Amino acid sequence: MVQYIIRRVAQAIPVLFLIAVVSFMLMMAAPGGPQAQFNQNPRISQDAIDRYMARWCLERNPDLLASLRSFGGWLGVWNCDEGGFFSDQGMPNFLPEFLGGGDNGLLHLDLGLSMSTNRPVLDLIVERMPATFILMGTAFLIWVTFAILLGVTAAVKRYSLFDQSVTLLSYIFYSLPTFWLGLILIFIFAVVLGWLPAQGIVPTRGPTFNSSAYWTAFHQAPLTHILDMGRHLILPVATLVAVNIAADSRFVRSSMLDTLGQDYVRTARAKGLPRQRVVFRHAFRNALLPIITAVTLEIAFLFSGAIVTETIFSWPGMGRLYIDGINNRDYFLVMGIVLIGSVFVVTMNIVADVVYAIADPRIRY
Amino acid sequence: MTDPRDPHTHDEVVDDLVARRDEAVTDLMRSPPEGADGAFVDHYAPGAPDADAEYEVALESLSQWQLARRRFRRHRLAMVGLVIFSLMLGVAIVGPIVQPYEFTNIPGASRQGGDPPSLEHVFGTTREGRDVFELVINGARISMAVGLFSMLIAGFMGVLVGSLAGYFGGWVDNGLMRVVDVLFAIPFLFIILVAARFFGQGQVSSLILIFGLLSWPLIARLVRASFLSLREADFVDAARAVGVSDLRIAFRHILPNALGPVIVAMTLLMASTIILEAFVSFLNFGIQETQVSWGNALANAQSALILGNWWWAFFPGMAIALTVIAINFIGDGLRDALDPRSRA
Repeated sequence: MVQYIIRRVAQAIPVLFLIAVVSFMLMMAAPGGPQAQFNQNPRISQDAIDRYMARWCLERNPDLLASLRSFGGWLGVWNCDEGGFFSDQGMPNFLPEFLGGGDNGLLHLDLGLSMSTNRPVLDLIVERMPATFILMGTAFLIWVTFAILLGVTAAVKRYSLFDQSVTLLSYIFYSLPTFWLGLILIFIFAVVLGWLPAQGIVPTRGPTFNSSAYWTAFHQAPLTHILDMGRHLILPVATLVAVNIAADSRFVRSSMLDTLGQDYVRTARAKGLPRQRVVFRHAFRNALLPIITAVTLEIAFLFSGAIVTETIFSWPGMGRLYIDGINNRDYFLVMGIVLIGSVFVVTMNIVADVVYAIADPRIRY
Repeated sequence: MTDPRDPHTHDEVVDDLVARRDEAVTDLMRSPPEGADGAFVDHYAPGAPDADAEYEVALESLSQWQLARRRFRRHRLAMVGLVIFSLMLGVAIVGPIVQPYEFTNIPGASRQGGDPPSLEHVFGTTREGRDVFELVINGARISMAVGLFSMLIAGFMGVLVGSLAGYFGGWVDNGLMRVVDVLFAIPFLFIILVAARFFGQGQVSSLILIFGLLSWPLIARLVRASFLSLREADFVDAARAVGVSDLRIAFRHILPNALGPVIVAMTLLMASTIILEAFVSFLNFGIQETQVSWGNALANAQSALILGNWWWAFFPGMAIALTVIAINFIGDGLRDALDPRSRA
């Protein structure tokens, strides 16, 4: 098993490297080049720009070698200050700092500096993560639970009125554009009825979410804050659940139908076991195998899947950070988010394979 | 019995028969037959249609594709979808020509946030006084074009890459599949947004290219998987034995048999691309403001929603939803018709 995991991780390394190449090339090829972001901010002095460019080995009209250097600088293989593969301490730059390596680049957990906010990219991402995980985590738990309930019931009562309504509804919700559904929900529940807030994660007048002022206020009155956040969560979570439950319940249903048609289910029924028991012990437990894999893969996209919903509901998470990064041409920020999102996907792919191998004793690895 | 031009007619029919029998049996075991779909026809009752006779005819005269067409026509939802889709396509093609309102003549709204639906403006107007009905009709053209053409590009690329990888295997397969892995690992929306913002420049044609060139990996994987299994099939060995060239085996012998799932996937891809274009344009990352697509029409609708102005956001969104539902219905019908063994 350990061997299998090691092999999968080793296979992922070239993919991760290629992802870094692709996201770097996208940014370098973008019109305006790496210094385009400075055009947005007239207050930055020429001197500061030059220092920034030098820090990341960026050049105005880079040739192939210069691009390779700045890629190496971003990756952490190349030492930008000295201009070489070796760090100030004379060791290879890619080594960790305590072994005498450099301090720049991905390999040293330095994703660069966000120019529009003048803060390290990693700090920005870490600061926005909680909001995204609260939103996506809540929605994910709800939609997976209900998708399994609906899918299993629909499969057991195949062709019943219940099954057909679930099928029709899931078709409709699956086809609705997420952002449009969000707009309609805002209109009905926030504008017309005025029951729920339309935007954000905290009241607009209070301190911003995840700031130190927010947490002090939170510790003074935790319950009020949690309840308030719950109110803010309802609409975006409902949007996410409606769209995702549609696809997932279909998947659970078809996987359940597969196992219900198996010979061992027929045998169990023929032996005289009660129907309930056959459905849950024999059919459902086996149907869970593909469901577990699919759900694990979905977790990978919890990180990026929020872009649409976060935009509509002004949710201060990763998705909004990404859109702002693109709008400000904040290349390091965009590259950093793309890279972390991809690492998340690759990791969850491996986890899905491993979980599947554990859950299904028939798998040989 | 079998048609010599198509070695799979017979297998197909037998498989279909087996699948149908299995389904009937499992249905019988589980629940009493009810509803039109689950209705059980007793072929041995006096006067009942004879199932074997029906397939006897099929074996004589129907090709794989004719059988598929027949199954598709029997699929009720797919036919509904086809009608709606043709309607929308018709609107997209002739709508802008016969539209009742002048495209450039913007009359100005009489109240803040646009006028509600009235006899004059059936879908209401936008903040600037633009007729929403006109927006929906004009938007159909670009939205449908983006969906259709990027689907074709993705289909072409996917079939090409998938068949090369699947047929040749080895290092060709390895190299191509690493590219696919990378494209699969980067969250799709991330890369689409960057590409649309930085390279799209508001052009319809470049958006089509971007969507098409980024969404083929899914199809490539499908094609590769079918190629890998079909490559070992007896009829391919037979073709190779009589000296048929690689190219011809790949595209004349294997590809037609691998096409079913691909067509289904392409249909669903078109539906999701229409939604994607709408979202990208909604963020002002896509189509320029001087042109109209359904997503573009929604772009500023959110600010008007707060004023209680629902029609601006509602009707373009309904157009997207209806079209996408229709396409998904068609896709479902195609799945049942072309790929009867995988019932999702």
